[in-house]
Amino acid sequence: MSKIREESFVDSASAGAAYQAALWSAVVSGVFSAIVLVLLVVNYLQIKVLDPLRAERLEMMKVKFIGEPLSEDMLFDIRRLDLEIRRDKIRRQFFSRRGGYLLLGGLVVCVAGLKLASVLGRRPPQPAAPDDKQARQMREAAMARWAVTAGLGLLSVAALIVAFNPQINITEITAPAYPSEEQINNNWAGFRGPAGAGISAYENIPTKWDGKTGDGILWKSKVPLRGHNSPVVWAGRVFLSGATSKKRQVFCFDALSGELLWTADVAGTAAGGTKAVDIMDDTGYAAPTVATDGRRVYAIFANGDLGCFDFDGKSIWTKSLGVPDSTYGYASSLAMYRNLLLIQYDQGMAEEVKSRMIAIDGYSGRIVWEVRRPVAGSWASPIVAKVGEKHQLITCSDPWITGYNPATGEELWKALCGGADMAPSPVYAGGFVFAVSPYDHIVAIRPDGRGDVTDTHISWSAEDSIPDICSPVSNGKVIFLLHTAGTLTCYQCADGKILWEKELDTSFNASPSLVGDKIYLLSTKGVMFIARIGAEYEEIARCELGEKVHASAAFANGRIYIRGTKNLYCIGTANE
Amino acid sequence: MKRIGLLIIPAVFFLFLSEPVSGVERFPPPDFESGYELPQTTYAPARRGVYEYIDVAVLLCALSLSSYLVLVKRDRRAIFVLTVFSLLYFGFWRKGCVCAIGATQNIVLAFFDNSYAVPFAVVLFFLLPLVFTLFFGRTFCAAVCPLGAIQDLVVLKPTAVPLWLESALRLLAYLYLGIAVLLAATGSAFIICRYDPFVSFFRLTGNLNILIAGGCLLVIGVFIGRPYCRFLCPYGVILRQLSRVSQWRVKITPDECINCRLCEDSCPFGAINKSTADWPRRDYNKSKTRLAILIILLPVLAVSGAFATAATSGWLSRAHPTVRLADRIYLEQSGNVKDTTDASLAFRGTGKPIDQLYAQAANIQDKTGFGSLVLGAFMGLLVGLKLIKHSVRRHRTDYEADRAGCLACGRCFQYCPREHVRLKKIKEAIQGNK
Repeated sequence: MSKIREESFVDSASAGAAYQAALWSAVVSGVFSAIVLVLLVVNYLQIKVLDPLRAERLEMMKVKFIGEPLSEDMLFDIRRLDLEIRRDKIRRQFFSRRGGYLLLGGLVVCVAGLKLASVLGRRPPQPAAPDDKQARQMREAAMARWAVTAGLGLLSVAALIVAFNPQINITEITAPAYPSEEQINNNWAGFRGPAGAGISAYENIPTKWDGKTGDGILWKSKVPLRGHNSPVVWAGRVFLSGATSKKRQVFCFDALSGELLWTADVAGTAAGGTKAVDIMDDTGYAAPTVATDGRRVYAIFANGDLGCFDFDGKSIWTKSLGVPDSTYGYASSLAMYRNLLLIQYDQGMAEEVKSRMIAIDGYSGRIVWEVRRPVAGSWASPIVAKVGEKHQLITCSDPWITGYNPATGEELWKALCGGADMAPSPVYAGGFVFAVSPYDHIVAIRPDGRGDVTDTHISWSAEDSIPDICSPVSNGKVIFLLHTAGTLTCYQCADGKILWEKELDTSFNASPSLVGDKIYLLSTKGVMFIARIGAEYEEIARCELGEKVHASAAFANGRIYIRGTKNLYCIGTANE
Repeated sequence: MKRIGLLIIPAVFFLFLSEPVSGVERFPPPDFESGYELPQTTYAPARRGVYEYIDVAVLLCALSLSSYLVLVKRDRRAIFVLTVFSLLYFGFWRKGCVCAIGATQNIVLAFFDNSYAVPFAVVLFFLLPLVFTLFFGRTFCAAVCPLGAIQDLVVLKPTAVPLWLESALRLLAYLYLGIAVLLAATGSAFIICRYDPFVSFFRLTGNLNILIAGGCLLVIGVFIGRPYCRFLCPYGVILRQLSRVSQWRVKITPDECINCRLCEDSCPFGAINKSTADWPRRDYNKSKTRLAILIILLPVLAVSGAFATAATSGWLSRAHPTVRLADRIYLEQSGNVKDTTDASLAFRGTGKPIDQLYAQAANIQDKTGFGSLVLGAFMGLLVGLKLIKHSVRRHRTDYEADRAGCLACGRCFQYCPREHVRLKKIKEAIQGNK
């Protein structure tokens, strides 16, 4: 047997030279591989540590350069650093690739050398003295049992650690990702409240106040900047915006005390902030009403700058949609659908197709969908109404009245019945979408069609006493139109028959609102006309604010919020 | 002179390899005013379908050859050459994909998801090694698997791992297989591929952490033979079970074991079972009692395991990108985090309802929860069976390769004196014929 053993294994003495060569090859290649490895590690650290620092410096230089556009030296430095970064990046990638091959080659030689050396240097087996088989077997079995049990213990400990690690159980998430319909209906989240209908969810709204004596006025707070936008109310906070040609701000007031909680600037963006915007003074730089989803508040201004803030006034994101080509100044208010901020960005002439409907994710500011619209510039605001079981986004423009799927931007229907200079916003009531073309006509469209419904879904149209600015309001049975000059007209929803008309002999810019069986009409002089809805105009009260008003009122539980030209008013009783 | 020659060869090799280092990198300066146009993005053409079948054919040939070399020729050198070929072809040339180990996940996913079409070549990559193992033992591990091959080549100074440690560490492979199957079944992730420790070597690129993990395994592999195969490989777990019942398998001796003990330390993978003696009577009775208790405990272990693992289902479900995304969106929505990630931004850009995302994530969590129960029960049962295995008396008169653990590498052949007799007889027969 010993003879066989001697034959089986290479004698190290006879293969000494080969053994030495294999060993030294392994050593040399090992050293070579180690050097390459060190160089690769250094290269890697340069990629991970040095390059990001330089990239950061480059970004800072670029930001600084925007503020000093005429600095040629800085431009040269930026270009040089940019070139260095890109050149080094490619060089290091190349080095990594080649280094990898070198390392692999070195390791192959090293392993081959060691392998050969181990074969050449192998010695015959020399089994240890025989042990006690019984004892060994018993000992090994016992130790294996303990080891497996210990393994089980370790796995259990690991499972416990993982289990006690805080985890989110998605199946237990009950809070909706966006405001519920109930929350939306109980607040005043945008222009004209829920669905842009101008209808108060509460009936305990004051009917008596006097701005001059302060009777019925809970508080009055100065608004820092001018704007025709209306108040938005959510969970004890009132939001407004204001702007000049150079400054754009969002304001948050405490709904209880009127204290100005915060003022947030919408920083000018490169696209929108530096260009002059030509607008009519009557429109102003902050005509669009802000919108909220109960988590954040959104504001848009005449130059197309858009800002998003949390309820503490911290800027979440800003964005520019580009300065709109708007004859009188951009005025369409924002609307919300779930997490989507909806912007009717109509501008220019219809044939130019510059108008867009844009949906932006409220949290991130990313555009979720955007559709081009062959319509001219308009000043109406979009509404999101629940038609049957589904929501529709409805817009009024020249020449199309359009219904969209608010989630995707898919066009559901459109009717060719919009007129020029569309300013009144649509309303949905009694199964009809009512759209008003200034000075021209009102149409009642059934929104259950698909495609072009001009010939099939317009139930009626009328041309008498058509308003120009104020949006209509309807309880589903009758619809009220309020002309700037003060004519209030009551139409029957079902057939468009005029039931009555009333001359109020004053001017209006604010849109009318409904509170239970009462209609609230706010004149530009700040007088609220309150009348009961009935077979004819039955005035209940006239309440003076003592300040001019262009914005529409917002309604909350027992309160009305009115923005005057200078102040924000809260009307109500203290115990509400 | 011979020594100098042997030193010159690697020196020339290094010189050749070092040539690229001297190359000067040139990068043309950008000229922004010249109307430079960005080149069009090009994409590498997809691999032609026929190559899949070539891979399958190569696999079939390699398996056949490996089985022949292990069982008939009993030629370690030839097995080694085939190992190198497999490493080069399935590893460096095919870049470690498709591989039989990872194919397990494709098969599992196809089983649980009707909409997932698993390529035929992948099915064959999964099945062929199993079939060969069923008949010939683990000849796939011996010289065909690239992961095994790369480890096999670095076995230089093997050290024996005690049986108790081996037995405990092997639990990891079962756990890995269980988690991999669970995550593949729920469509969460292909963790075997994601955490393949050697694919970064085959591709000469990859995640740094994986590269380091692979490097560590290879360094460990110098002293402990094939650590991944023995303690982690999920496919190896399946092969072990099939190998137990294989028709033919590796035998250390070509005819009879003479209990010379020369092969005792020849296996770097600890897969040689020594001959045993009868247990002492007292211990035998004790072991019978222990065995009875363990059999009764089996369902208890299974149920405990199920409960323990079920508690980790939330963590496991986060392997699914949808669950991770839902978690993230929830954190963002609830104001717990203020920033966004690329994934959450992309999701928000789609406009898909968040509630729908939550519903999808909840569905996956439910599935993972059930899968975790099964996984836990499996692990509990496995531990119980392992304890039973170590409580059962084994009777062996010969030194033999472990049915499950033998990787069929053929290292033990040359340690057996009977093998040398066989080779001598063959040699004499050939000379006689001449």
